[in-house]
Amino acid sequence: MSFPRAVAFLWAATWRNRIRRQLERLRKPRYLLGALVGAAYLYSVFFRRLDFRGSVGTVSEGVRLFAELSLIGSALGTLFAAWALGRDRPSLTFSETEVVQLFPAPVPRRALLQYKLVRGLLGTSLGALFATLFLGRTISPHPVLFFVGACLALGTLYLHSTAASFVRTRLSAWGLWGQVARWGAVGGVLALVALAVFTSLREHPVPEDLSSGRALRGWLQALMASPGVAAVLWPGRLLVAPALAQSVSDFLWALPPALALMAAHYGWVLWAEVPFEETAVVRAESRSRERMLRASGRMTRVGSLTLSRPPFRLLPRGRPEVALIWKNLIARKRMGGGFAVFLAFIILGGAIAAMMGDTRLFTDTRRVLGPVALALSVMLTVVGPSAFRMDLRMDLPKLDLLRAMPLTGRQVVRAQLAASSLALATFQLALLAVALVLGPGVEASRLGGWWWPGGLALAFLLPAVSLSGLFVQNAAVVLFPSWVPADTGERARGIEAMGQRLLAVVGTLVVMLVGLIPAGLVALVVGLPVSALLGPWALPVAGFVAAGVLVGEVWLGVMALGRAFERLDVSEDRPE
Amino acid sequence: MDSVLRVEGLEKAYGEVKAVQGLTFEVAPGEVLGLVGPNGAGKTSTLRCLAGILPPSSGRILVAGYDLSRTPVDAKRALAFLPDEPRFFEYLTVWEHLNFTARLYGVEDWEERGRALLEEMELTGKEKSLPGELSRGMKQKLSIACGFLHSPKLILLDEPLTGLDPIGIRRMKASLRRRAEEGAALVLSSHLLPLVEELCHRLLVIAGGKAMALGSLEDIRARLSGAEGEHASLEELFVRITSAGTQAP
Repeated sequence: MSFPRAVAFLWAATWRNRIRRQLERLRKPRYLLGALVGAAYLYSVFFRRLDFRGSVGTVSEGVRLFAELSLIGSALGTLFAAWALGRDRPSLTFSETEVVQLFPAPVPRRALLQYKLVRGLLGTSLGALFATLFLGRTISPHPVLFFVGACLALGTLYLHSTAASFVRTRLSAWGLWGQVARWGAVGGVLALVALAVFTSLREHPVPEDLSSGRALRGWLQALMASPGVAAVLWPGRLLVAPALAQSVSDFLWALPPALALMAAHYGWVLWAEVPFEETAVVRAESRSRERMLRASGRMTRVGSLTLSRPPFRLLPRGRPEVALIWKNLIARKRMGGGFAVFLAFIILGGAIAAMMGDTRLFTDTRRVLGPVALALSVMLTVVGPSAFRMDLRMDLPKLDLLRAMPLTGRQVVRAQLAASSLALATFQLALLAVALVLGPGVEASRLGGWWWPGGLALAFLLPAVSLSGLFVQNAAVVLFPSWVPADTGERARGIEAMGQRLLAVVGTLVVMLVGLIPAGLVALVVGLPVSALLGPWALPVAGFVAAGVLVGEVWLGVMALGRAFERLDVSEDRPE
Repeated sequence: MDSVLRVEGLEKAYGEVKAVQGLTFEVAPGEVLGLVGPNGAGKTSTLRCLAGILPPSSGRILVAGYDLSRTPVDAKRALAFLPDEPRFFEYLTVWEHLNFTARLYGVEDWEERGRALLEEMELTGKEKSLPGELSRGMKQKLSIACGFLHSPKLILLDEPLTGLDPIGIRRMKASLRRRAEEGAALVLSSHLLPLVEELCHRLLVIAGGKAMALGSLEDIRARLSGAEGEHASLEELFVRITSAGTQAP
């Protein structure tokens, strides 16, 4: 059997077995239900809006211009990245199985390269399909033409990146002169681009009044038509022209140059070919190691962890489950991201606002930060339980390890829940403190009387609601491991898995809302009579009572979940 | 002397598949019991049940006098389970794993013991390493160090020599022997028959989840009929016993 036929057989057999396995899974009601929900979701979100029968109208000029600029910008950005970013080594990526099965096979390097290129082009076609599903209808009146055009554009960019990585590998082998040649060429191109843009901007300076979309569009069109910018955009325009074609004749007109460009890139890749086996082996091993680590829990890239100090000293004596809290808080610290992401979010938001003419974050920081912090603190009640996952969701893939520990199920569940809720509550309370101190209520007379009582009520309520959200999500992975898988890194694929996840999310929300009803009712029963006596200060009383009810519910839940954890037998529900 | 481990009629089923069927045995302090059998015989399932990881379908397990199903915390505090594929918390360093284990088991002098164990396992200098930075063999050694930290009365080992280099294997064997001499009971599952022959006082041969033979090598030899049984090596005995087991209806 020749190599191409062997590869064709491999792919056909893989797909056949995958589909057969997915169909077999549908015999189980949970997958069948998941498949139905997933299919309904896909149909309602994507396919219902698609019409492959032909043109269904025209795309507005503004949208077309925006799409053209975005696509050309992305294409030019990819070209820049291919030459200026990353390491000087072949960009071909093989899986460990491919390395073990194909590298020792009696197959020339050229055949391996062709194999990888075909795989890469199939991957870019899949990307084009998703782009068509998500964007096609908005950008082009002909989704099919958009898909073909996107396949050509993404495929050519893939070939360009591969060829560039080969050329960079060759240049790096020349030592210093190679680097000089590469950076000289990159610098020369960038200088020419800058010169062209500068010249065009002198001809068409930024108008003083850009408040209307029409004015902005007119200026952009004039700028893009100027010789300098037109020359810079020309390769990108050639590439995206078939995808953006508004009619069949436009498409046919744009097709030959795009095909020629792709063919030229293919020839370039073959011409520039360098030995890639060594790099491929190293990358395959590294990817495989990372996958294994992810499968054993939530793991970032090896070596990217910062060894920060533990949050507190763990003494050998005391309640043993504290060890789990200590471990999970270390994980939180080393996973990082929390405060840095928040700060980056604020600064980026402020910078964007400043670019749009609103500089209040920098000129009147206090007034902006207060409401932002309050909004984030409340928002964390909803998104926090999904974002802070140093609990059973992180550790359940290591159930063996947890089960061998000398701890009761209740101790394990309590400790696991404590770490996430402590971290989340600390974050929320800090944000709330910022909001209360800096927020508008400090000086606004209308809010004055309610500001501090309301803030105090939130200080009781928000962490309690977050705790119940965390509990529901943790309970879901223990009670329904088939529906809500823990963080194994390897996500189940397919429409049925997507449908299952949707159902799990809806179920989690419903349970959480149901859990909030008693707390709300009790808060009303206590708060209303007290408000006659205390006025606004009845709010923290009601908040405290509601929080108490929620904590009580979680406490009862932990008792039950602890027993469920002890009975949890993963061997009975092994992943299919 | 009272046994450290007592197993009575242990059964474990995965749906329709019966992985372990009616195992009954005891292990005394200082004794090393070898658990041998072909692939899929039920060795790992047995060990996971003994460690309290899998709930048995039926039967009773007593560890240091504690019933594993009624007082699991006390029973687990007396044992250590060293799996063939060691699992760690990726965010904790080697030293933090020892600290974590010390708190779980209340080991007051853990720092002193930890340093000695790291020295014994040739992990000195790796205290600040994360598990992801350790080789396969080093991970195995870290697992052993964590397992031995609280001086367990019962040590369950599943293929303990996987990934170790020859010096590591020699040290490991010496370490296991010393733990047994100090009074710990060991249950060792391995396909390395020379290791089993060298370390174990008694053998439990299982096939298809059932006990095919239990006793010292001499006992098993003596029980086998035929002239060739007398001087048969463990490998020959293993083949004869397990072939008989798999051929049985």
